[in-house]
Amino acid sequence: MPAALSNGTRSRRFSTRLAAVAIAPLVLTLAACGAASDDGGGSEGGGESGKLVVWDWKSGDPTAKAYVDAAKADFEKKHPDVEVEFVAQPFDNYYTLLGTAIESGSGPDVVLFNGGAQLRDRVDALVPLDDYLGDNEERLAGWEAFQDADQTYAVPITLQGEPFYYNKKIYEEAGLDPEAPPTTYDELTDVCEAIAKIDKDCFSLGNKEGIGMEFHLSTFGPGVFTPEQYDAWLAGDRDWSSPEVKQLFEMWVQQNEDGWFNDGVNSTAMFMDEFTKFQGGESGNVVGLISDVAHWKSFDEFLGDDLGVYPGPIVNEGGQSLMPAEGGIGYGVTEWTADKELAYDLVDSLSSTDALTAFYADAGAIASDTTIDTSDSGIPVVADIVSWLPESKPNLHTVLSADTLDLLHRLSQQLIDGKVTVDDALAQLAASDK
Amino acid sequence: MNTSRLGTRTDAGDPGSARVPGGTPGATTPPSTRTGQRAAGSGRRPRWTEDRVVPYLLVLPAVLIVVLLRIVPLVMGANFSFTGDGDANGAWVGLDNYRTLWDDEVFRTAMKNVGLLLLALPVAVAIPGLLATFLFLKVPGYRLYRSVYFFPVVLSPVIIGAIFNVVLSFDGPANQLLEKVGIEPIDWLGDSTYAMFTVIGVHIWATFGMALVIFMAGFATVDQSLLDAARSDGANLRQTVWHVIIPELSQTIQFVFVTTMIGMLTGMFGLLYIMTGGGPGGATYLPELYIWTQQGQMNRPALASAASMVLFVLMLVVGFAQLRLLKRATKES
Repeated sequence: MPAALSNGTRSRRFSTRLAAVAIAPLVLTLAACGAASDDGGGSEGGGESGKLVVWDWKSGDPTAKAYVDAAKADFEKKHPDVEVEFVAQPFDNYYTLLGTAIESGSGPDVVLFNGGAQLRDRVDALVPLDDYLGDNEERLAGWEAFQDADQTYAVPITLQGEPFYYNKKIYEEAGLDPEAPPTTYDELTDVCEAIAKIDKDCFSLGNKEGIGMEFHLSTFGPGVFTPEQYDAWLAGDRDWSSPEVKQLFEMWVQQNEDGWFNDGVNSTAMFMDEFTKFQGGESGNVVGLISDVAHWKSFDEFLGDDLGVYPGPIVNEGGQSLMPAEGGIGYGVTEWTADKELAYDLVDSLSSTDALTAFYADAGAIASDTTIDTSDSGIPVVADIVSWLPESKPNLHTVLSADTLDLLHRLSQQLIDGKVTVDDALAQLAASDK
Repeated sequence: MNTSRLGTRTDAGDPGSARVPGGTPGATTPPSTRTGQRAAGSGRRPRWTEDRVVPYLLVLPAVLIVVLLRIVPLVMGANFSFTGDGDANGAWVGLDNYRTLWDDEVFRTAMKNVGLLLLALPVAVAIPGLLATFLFLKVPGYRLYRSVYFFPVVLSPVIIGAIFNVVLSFDGPANQLLEKVGIEPIDWLGDSTYAMFTVIGVHIWATFGMALVIFMAGFATVDQSLLDAARSDGANLRQTVWHVIIPELSQTIQFVFVTTMIGMLTGMFGLLYIMTGGGPGGATYLPELYIWTQQGQMNRPALASAASMVLFVLMLVVGFAQLRLLKRATKES
């Protein structure tokens, strides 16, 4: 303004120099905005000399380094001029960030997914891969979790299952046979009563995220349902008012009332407080995973030879004792990627035997590759887990929609909290799961 | 800038007058003639002069930033909230999303919790107000308290949440203390009866330092002569506070009320995310966490936009209502 003031009312022509000064900050601001959006990732043209961007929440882990290196090396052999960039996102916000990318129709070329609802809710953004799979279909297992309406949208790299891990030392202290874990629900009840007497928790449980009921449903479900009911549930024929479903929910409430779990279940985080309690020897049992986290490898570090494992116990006559398992995590190709075949080639490298062997060895994941030899792990429970895989069936909870799962999480907490009855909870779930 | 100076300058040779048809550059023209000429030639006088354009040009970046980064997204968000999610992505669905919100128990809980926040607001303002009064009255050790009270403000909600997760865990220090005095332990964050109050309490603890500083600044502006006059008139402490301090601090109190409310409505996400994640059973949802969950976890951005619009309107209404009420309440009639 000084220039204008000093000139009083003198009218002057618009000077280009001043205009440039005034506009400069605006141009800079807009340029900065433009630059920010340009850096958002995505393939650059996608051709043989382009770049592929992978989003995951794994590649930043030191235990996944060998896996990523092996996959990169395999891909580089096939496409030496294509650069691959791994962007490790925080898992907590992974699907939020991915949702934003999907909404804008741009972003990564290859994305990591959890099997089940998270993938099925986003198949519109993914390329059906059935035409590309070839031999992989035979070599890898766990496809169901990545399929929707008979089309495959991601290639599994790990299997995920939920066995019951137990602490042999605590069994011994409680006067139980450490080599004879429970096979029926009655036996499990006896185990819990015995452990309660030595002032330990029968199960470590964290239900802060509300996931407790998911695990409960999938691990006790096989023992409650007949095989026919189990298959019908998976096929979408779910009767929330059946006596078996009601029994499963009542078991959840009863276990809490009988003091099977640690105190403050609803304020204890499953990841990782629940598992830390088990590793720390505060409880006799825990329902854990077989890949990623809270698995045999991480428990073995703390419990060593005291670590034991058993599949879900039989609850009803006609029920089965099995460990539910299915595809854990897998890579898909986004529909906006420029060269879909090239992107699939990267997925192929990410699921190659060499890469997955490294993932199994370093990260302790049970890989989807059935040709990997797991006999030399040095951890006895792995042999048990692997031996149950052929008999295993998919989880009961992963076939539910994201909406129904979200409701299940809340009800899981409300049932513990006594704010909802089993009947009311089942009515809400029946209304949600249409 | 007086008229005589202007006149002199104009007469001395205004480039503008030089452009008047028939005018001789630099020639002295009688004012009356000049006026006539200007009137005749006003249609041709350049409108886009530097004096007129530059002010607009200088505010243009700020205006554009506000328009592009605030107003346009707001309008787009409002528009987006009338479209569908999933299969209906991009399709106009009218008020469907708002109906879904109305029927959603979690959203209703979130709105009820907003009501709870409004009830807690006077406490959240009274605590720093009271403490600032003590500091203003220079209680012993006030210098130390002044710093200590501000400490939590510099901590991120994530750190505060993590600290209180430990302090308030079932076997944590808070419950151990209760047990020592013979009170049953409470699941502060896992029992839906207490969880929301617990998080609000932690939020107040974490943020009152900022309001305290604003109050302190307000106290600095209180007219000392009014206080002296009240004292010599024999006013007691209650009368002094009620008739002098509160009216004098009326602007400050209004400001603290509004900013504290906005802070509660939009600044509790971090704490909730870390401490309860909306649980147990959805008991600690606030609109902000609901928006995040719907957008990110449930993949329903249009519904999230509708919830955002509701939150936006709510904040406007509550903010304006507060200002009106407080203006009346804090000013002496």
